[in-house]
Amino acid sequence: MLMDSKKLEELVKKYWNCETSLEEEQQLREYFRGGNIPESWRETAALFRYFDEQKSKTTDSQFDETVLASIKKMPARKEGRVVKWVAASMRIAAGVAVLLAAIYFVRQELRSDTAMASAEDTFEDPQQAFEETKKALLMISKGFGRAEQQAKKINMFNEAQEKVQTTESEL
Amino acid sequence: MDIEAFQNRVLPAKNKLFRFALRMLGNDEEARDVVQEVFIRVWNGRENWGDIQNMEAWCMRITKNLSLDRLRSIQRKGTYPVAEGFDVQHADATPDVKTELGESMQHVSQLIAALPEKQRQIIHLRDVEGYTYNEISEMLELDMNQVKVNLFRARNAVREKLMKINAYGL
Repeated sequence: MLMDSKKLEELVKKYWNCETSLEEEQQLREYFRGGNIPESWRETAALFRYFDEQKSKTTDSQFDETVLASIKKMPARKEGRVVKWVAASMRIAAGVAVLLAAIYFVRQELRSDTAMASAEDTFEDPQQAFEETKKALLMISKGFGRAEQQAKKINMFNEAQEKVQTTESEL
Repeated sequence: MDIEAFQNRVLPAKNKLFRFALRMLGNDEEARDVVQEVFIRVWNGRENWGDIQNMEAWCMRITKNLSLDRLRSIQRKGTYPVAEGFDVQHADATPDVKTELGESMQHVSQLIAALPEKQRQIIHLRDVEGYTYNEISEMLELDMNQVKVNLFRARNAVREKLMKINAYGL
């Protein structure tokens, strides 16, 4: 390909400034590929020839076969299934472990609770036990009494509301 | 996705991937291993091929990452010396090698091998493989400005050294 020296100079300058397009870079490679390159361009020519020459480097002829053979040897998705199965069973195992741990702790908690309760509430003497029970029941009934008094107050509100409603409906 | 799709969509990129891995590793055998591993990974991830817009860029990205891993483990083990200016010249040298131009090309090879990692990657992808800035930024996971800045630095470093060789006839 013919290129006058002025255009060449311009293009090379653009190349050094990274302003050339891919097409222009291709033009340069093609130009320097030819013979009869002026001596002053020797180093630049060497650069573009080097790029050109590098592109001819290829993998060896058996490469495709080797790759395809190793790919065919790959356990087609079977490995994936095994991995998935292992992962799933691990997940289930983890769940079961958490559940067992939870049951264990809850049971321990319950046991210690019942043990403490029975230790405190056991009375040897039936009379004493009866007195204690009466006391407890009395306390509960007192509580109920107090609650009833409070509830009566709420009742007052209800009555007032009813009154308002009836007067409203009369109007 | 089957082997046929793999052969049509993925495998054709092999030489570009190989050259890129070679650029990073400087060793044919290692580069070949890396590309093979890239293909196996892409094959194993074939369920997600539908989401990949640019398969070649995707493969190139994996090649970059695996090459970097390989490079690190080589350096750690010290299996073979990865000197700054390792030579990535052809074993079967062209007749040019005997000429002055051939000699200059050897210089170029050394200059590029001596560039910092990122600059070397970018100048390779642009000037050898002819990718757009956009594609390069996708492959290297860099933004466009970084690609341009690094390319500018790489080309100018090469230029400066070439001019020096020219001036002093090194």
